[in-house]
Amino acid sequence: MSLLRRLANLLRSNRHARDLDREMTFHLHERADDLVAHGMSREAADQEARRRFGNYASQKESTRDADIFVWLDTLVDDIRYAARTLRNAPGFTLVAILSLALGIGANTAIFSLINAVVLRSLPVKHPEQIVQIVMADSNPTFTNPIWEQIRDHQTVFDGVFAYSAKQYNMAPSGETRPAAVHMVSGDYFRTLGVQPIVGRMLTMSDDQRGCPAIGVLSYAFWQTEFGGKQDVLGKTVSLNTFPVQIVGVVQDGFVGLDVGQAAQIFMPLCSVAILRGSFASLDARSTWWITIMARSKPGESVEHMTAGLSTIAKGVFQSTVPEHWRQELKERYAKNGLMVREAATGLSDLRRKYGKALYMLLGIVSLVLLIACANVANLLLARAAVRQREMAIRIAIGAARARVVRQLLTESLLLSLSGAAIGLLFAQWGSRLLVRFLSSSGSQIFLDLALDRTVLAFTVAVAIVTGVIFGMTPAWRAARVPPNAALKANGRGIIEGHGRFALGKILVASQIAISLALVVAAGLLISTFRNVSTLDAGFKPADVLLVSMQRTGVPPSKAEAMNASDEILARVRAIPGVASASLSSVTPLGGTSWNEEMLIDGYSPATEDDGVAYFNTTTNDYFNTLRTPILTGRDFNASDRIGAPRVALVNETMARKFYKTPNAVGKTFRYRVGARASDPVEIIGVVKDSKYQTLREKTLPTAFMAIAQDSDRIGVNMELRVPSGASTAATQVRAAIAAVDPRMSTTMTSFETQVASSLTRERLLATLSGFFGGLAILLSMIGLYGVLSYNVARRRSEIGVRMALGAGQRRIASMVLGEVGGVIVTGFAVGIVLSSLSTKLIATFLFGLEATDRATLAGSMAILVFVALLAAYLPARRASRVDPIEALREE
Amino acid sequence: MPRNRNDILQGTLLLLVLKTLDSRGAMHGYAITSHIQDVSADMLRVEEGSLYPALHRMEQDGWLRAAWGTTEKNRQARFYTITALGRKQLAHEEASWARLTEGVRRVLRYA
Repeated sequence: MSLLRRLANLLRSNRHARDLDREMTFHLHERADDLVAHGMSREAADQEARRRFGNYASQKESTRDADIFVWLDTLVDDIRYAARTLRNAPGFTLVAILSLALGIGANTAIFSLINAVVLRSLPVKHPEQIVQIVMADSNPTFTNPIWEQIRDHQTVFDGVFAYSAKQYNMAPSGETRPAAVHMVSGDYFRTLGVQPIVGRMLTMSDDQRGCPAIGVLSYAFWQTEFGGKQDVLGKTVSLNTFPVQIVGVVQDGFVGLDVGQAAQIFMPLCSVAILRGSFASLDARSTWWITIMARSKPGESVEHMTAGLSTIAKGVFQSTVPEHWRQELKERYAKNGLMVREAATGLSDLRRKYGKALYMLLGIVSLVLLIACANVANLLLARAAVRQREMAIRIAIGAARARVVRQLLTESLLLSLSGAAIGLLFAQWGSRLLVRFLSSSGSQIFLDLALDRTVLAFTVAVAIVTGVIFGMTPAWRAARVPPNAALKANGRGIIEGHGRFALGKILVASQIAISLALVVAAGLLISTFRNVSTLDAGFKPADVLLVSMQRTGVPPSKAEAMNASDEILARVRAIPGVASASLSSVTPLGGTSWNEEMLIDGYSPATEDDGVAYFNTTTNDYFNTLRTPILTGRDFNASDRIGAPRVALVNETMARKFYKTPNAVGKTFRYRVGARASDPVEIIGVVKDSKYQTLREKTLPTAFMAIAQDSDRIGVNMELRVPSGASTAATQVRAAIAAVDPRMSTTMTSFETQVASSLTRERLLATLSGFFGGLAILLSMIGLYGVLSYNVARRRSEIGVRMALGAGQRRIASMVLGEVGGVIVTGFAVGIVLSSLSTKLIATFLFGLEATDRATLAGSMAILVFVALLAAYLPARRASRVDPIEALREE
Repeated sequence: MPRNRNDILQGTLLLLVLKTLDSRGAMHGYAITSHIQDVSADMLRVEEGSLYPALHRMEQDGWLRAAWGTTEKNRQARFYTITALGRKQLAHEEASWARLTEGVRRVLRYA
């Protein structure tokens, strides 16, 4: 009977069973009545009625044959029997469940990260309706004037809203305490359908120019900062020293639309005017800081909405042209368009940066799981050999083969589901570890990793597929045993015949093939990490402390800011143990970048990008502190100050690119400032190339101007070389800063940490692929060892005969090793094809070597051969030590 | 054990039930049993225990419809009626029964 029908029966089975009972009772009554009418006594009539009806109880049973209960009953029997068999083989069960738990756990861990980063919908009302508006060139951020235009003129959506993720400082002075603040438009909460649990949400009336500083807290922030107390309303949080009044708390689970970055406080967009003062960009037409989202009308397609927006795009852009831009750019600006994108799963830098890497890791761990499956299959085959008499007897006494297969598959599924249950625990722990891995000191990553239905469904599906994969072949083979044959063959039997060993070898060969692909991938990714982290970045991060300083509160005057930072630098330089110190506006790999369009006589850029150079401003000793050699010319000195001719050092790339000479000292450049050109800047020195944004980048042309000649200095970085270890000077540095300006807030990191966190993805991939590659090798070698030792045990008497006929120990050992050779060669042949396919997929992650790197392939093969020989050593030795007399006596 | 000759040949139970319900309208199980026994002049006897499972299967197959009702003796019984699908099946069963008996008849006559 089909499963579907059984399930249908299950649903109505109760009523069905009741109906039958009542009907049969009725029948018995009627029959008895008839018999009584024919003169029988009541008692005899009842008896006769029952007799005629047949065995009432057994009838009930067979009637219910249509029923799922029977099916469920036998299933329960199967499970009980399977559990008992597994309990009776604790060693086998433990090994099988643990290796499955590792495999399934690794898959679940990676998948739950993918789920959190890529798949899960936002916790808002009808997330499928949430879309993002971007520029036609895919640029996702807008200026506030553009936002206001779209807000006031669109008719395409049910609602539009905007937000901008910012970090403001909660500490009034001293060490910076950053708070993740989302500046949101008035309709943000209403359009998303997000409710308060305390107080109220922000509304349109809160988002008016000149608004007071009010805020709504995230649930987690409310819990940690205010202990979840109801009296939070009316209290304040200090942001950039301004008191922000709390008006509500958002429902649990909603932390904004940026996946991976949780908002702690929501404030109206307009209040940026308070927090940022003159730096607020509410009217700036070329400051791109706002993300615009919308809720689509039900059933509206993305194309349709994009078309709808195009009718207002012209008006939006024409009325917001940045006035100071040069004509050509203005014209291009006015022709911009708008586009709509799906955003049901929120927005995420994390997704862009790690999405592909996570899928690649999922591929890797699923291959590891496949290897684990092969091992369990091998174990099951070996057990099937032991249990063949059991199977033969069951078949002989009438068990249907299908029933035997089902019994064995139940065992497999029980194994894989138990593995999955333990795997879920591993995964909980593993995925948290992964998130910690991804979080660097600078950017804490927040991901909701709670088990949800998607993850559970994934794990159960993986467990079932796994169970069927490793259980099918052994089950099918066991059920094929002809009962009499197995019963006759006393001792050695059919399942463990030649076929079984061949199958075992095939399994091991495929394990080696997959392992090879994994080890090659791991080798490439590890080499990539090594290449990136050992490349000459142009600076030496060891012993360097980076201090980022930001003045809180009302921004100081420019002169004040300059004096303060100069004074701090002077004091820090006087601290004993500080070998050298400098100031700069940008630190290498720090995440900020500053570029300008160069205007250089004699150089005409091929494209707009071609004419761009990267900038930094520094004090003297910057290059000395970072250990970037000055190749020609001089460092800045006291004469390079405001009023004096502007000077800069440039890197080699810049010298060669724009001046076609490594020695560009004495040359000048200008760069574009709005529609005009800057004052000429004279090059006073050329420094060695160093990395600017990332270690993987091709060196960018970079100019270092004198910070003393630059008057904008709200945020400034300090670099200190402390040979005795960066942490030793931290306290004194903090004291020196506080002594000069108590409202200066600081963040300290070692330069080494900053470099390391720029390599998070590379390190993640190298570590995990290395780990899983190792796991793959280990599992394959266990598989190989198992098959070989099993085979040696099986062939004991044959080996005895060979030895009795004069084969030496060496000969026997090489016979075993020959088998290993066969397996390895087969495995490698398949593995090379497999890895040439798989390495194509990881090519984009590589650096400094090709996906087809021969050395990596050769190295991986060498490792596998070595480990295979290691695995073969014991079985080979055991074979060569067989005592021929004893072996033959056993026969 | 030799089968009781009165037992209904396996497979013909369906035919008899369908035919009975088709000619007599709604009936409960006991009435079906009695009817078959009466009409066949006691030559056929329904194996009572297998009647109900058969009825339920036929209901599941959509050949019969069943509903609880009250008998003349004021007892609750389940009454069965034949459906359109059941009539189609009946025609089919009658045809194959005719073929079978014809075949058997020929064998008995000519073999």
